[in-house]
Amino acid sequence: MQNKVFRIEHIAKSFGSEKDHNYMEVLKDISMDIDEKEFIVILGNSGCGKSTFLKILGGIERATSGNMELHGKDIGQQIPREELKRFGFVFQSNNLLPWRTAEGNLRFNLQTMKLKGPEWEQRIDEMLDIVGLLDYKKVYPHELSGGMKQRVGIARALVHDPDILILDQPLGALDAITRKMLSYEILNIWKKTQKTVIMVTNNVDEAILLANRIFVFSNKPATITHEIKVDIPLEHRNHEIANDARFNELRGQINEIVRATL
Amino acid sequence: MAQSKPITKKKKKERDPKRVIAPLVVLVLIYIGLEVGLRVFQVPSYVLPTPTNILIETAASFSIILPDLLFTLKIICIGFCIAIPSGILLAALFSQFDILVKAMQPVVIWLVITPMITLIPLMTLWLGTDPNLRVIIVIIQATPIICLNTLNGFTRVEQEKLELARSVGATKLQTFVSIIFMNALPQVFTGIKLGCIFSTIGAVSADFVSRGMGLGDRIIKFTKYSNFEESYGCIVLIALIGITLYTIVELIEKRIVLWKK
Repeated sequence: MQNKVFRIEHIAKSFGSEKDHNYMEVLKDISMDIDEKEFIVILGNSGCGKSTFLKILGGIERATSGNMELHGKDIGQQIPREELKRFGFVFQSNNLLPWRTAEGNLRFNLQTMKLKGPEWEQRIDEMLDIVGLLDYKKVYPHELSGGMKQRVGIARALVHDPDILILDQPLGALDAITRKMLSYEILNIWKKTQKTVIMVTNNVDEAILLANRIFVFSNKPATITHEIKVDIPLEHRNHEIANDARFNELRGQINEIVRATL
Repeated sequence: MAQSKPITKKKKKERDPKRVIAPLVVLVLIYIGLEVGLRVFQVPSYVLPTPTNILIETAASFSIILPDLLFTLKIICIGFCIAIPSGILLAALFSQFDILVKAMQPVVIWLVITPMITLIPLMTLWLGTDPNLRVIIVIIQATPIICLNTLNGFTRVEQEKLELARSVGATKLQTFVSIIFMNALPQVFTGIKLGCIFSTIGAVSADFVSRGMGLGDRIIKFTKYSNFEESYGCIVLIALIGITLYTIVELIEKRIVLWKK
C-alpha cells in the first residue's frame, strides 16, 4: 500500500444561501484518496465545476462542507496558509505576471513564500531548464508564445518544490499541435520530478496518456460518476501510445461514459 | 521545439531616429510657415507676431521674465511633487474598501472637473495673499486626476491574478505591493502625466487670478503694454515647462514599465 498524501472527504461547494434564488450547488459529496507520486486526472464537461474543485484543492477557495487531510493531518475545509508551500498551481491561461520576466515570475512564488538563498536561486534555473526555457529567463511574457508561457507557468508552480502539483486545464488555451507537444512534456516533467499531480482536462486522449486514475465528473452539481484505473505501463506512454491496444480500449470506454454524461 | 534567441531591443532602436526627427521637421515647417504666412498676409502683431520677433523680443526681455519663470516653475514643481504621492496614497486608501471606492469615485471625478482657481478668492480670504500659497491650488488641481487614474488601476485587477496570490499564500500587503500596484502602474503613469498638465494649468490660472507674480501675471502685464511678442514668448515658456515635465515622466515610465507591447 502506497503512502496517502492527500485525502478528500465529502467535499461540497455552493454559492449563495439556500433560500436565495441564485443559490447554486457546484460540487456535491466528492471524496478521493490520492497516493504519493500518483497522476490523477479529472474529466468533465466544461462548466461542471472541475475548476472550482481544483481551487479548493489549491487553497484559493474554501469548501462549504467536507474535510481534507494532508499527510494524515486534518486541515479542514480550506488549505491553511502555511500548507500552501506544499502545492503548486498551474492556471488555465498561464496567468503570468506581465511585469515580471520569466525568472521574475518564478521568483514571485519564492518571494511571497519567503524562500531565500542561493539554493532557491539555483532552483529557478533548474525549473526553467526542465521546461526548456533557460535561454528565456530574462524575457517578458508578451515576447513568449502561448506554449512557452504555459511552460513558464508550470515551472513557476514547481519552483518552491511542492508535494502536489495542481493543473487546471493547463493545455486548454493552446492550439492543437502545441497542446499535443506539451502533454508529452507534462508526462516527462512528472517522470523527472516525481510529484503527485492532480490535473483537470476535457480531453480524453490527454487523460489516458497522463493518468494513473481518471475521475469522471457529472454535470452540475458535480459528483464523481466513474473512477477508471489506467493500467498502461509507463514505458508504453510515448508518441506511439495511439497504437497501444489498451489505450484504444480505454479510450472507447471513457468516450462512452463521457457521451452518457453529456 | 526550435528555439531561436529572442530579438527584442533591436526594433526600438531602429524606430528611434524617426521619432525624434519627424516632430522636429513639423516644428520647423510650422515655424517657416508662420514666418512667411504672417508676413505675406500682414497679420498685425497683436493677433500673432512672427516667430522670429517673438524669439528676439523675448530674449531681450528675458531678465524681466526670468524671476516670474522661476516662480511659476517652483510652484508647479512643488505642487506636482506633493500631488503625486497624495493622489496615489489616497487611491491606495480608497481601494482597500469596496464601499469607499463606490463612495469616493464620484467625489474625485467631481473634484477633477471643478476648476480649482474658483477657490482662489475664498482662499485669499482664509490664508492671505502670499503668492506661495498657489502651491495649494496646484496640489488640489492635480491630486484628484492622479487619484482617479490610480484608483481605476487599483480596482481593475483580473480575478486570476488575485487567485495566484491566494494560491501562494500572499499576505494582504504582498498582494497589494506585488500584484495590485504593479498591475496598476501603467494607469498610475497616465495619472501622473495628466497631473503635469493639470499642475501647469493650475499654476498659471492662479497667477491670472491672484496677480503680482508668475508667468500668468507677466502675460497680462506684457499684453497691457502692447508687448505682444513677449506675451507670446511667455506662453511658449509655459508650454515648455509642461512639455519638459511630461517628457521627464514619460522617460521614467519607459524605464519602469517595460512590459507594455
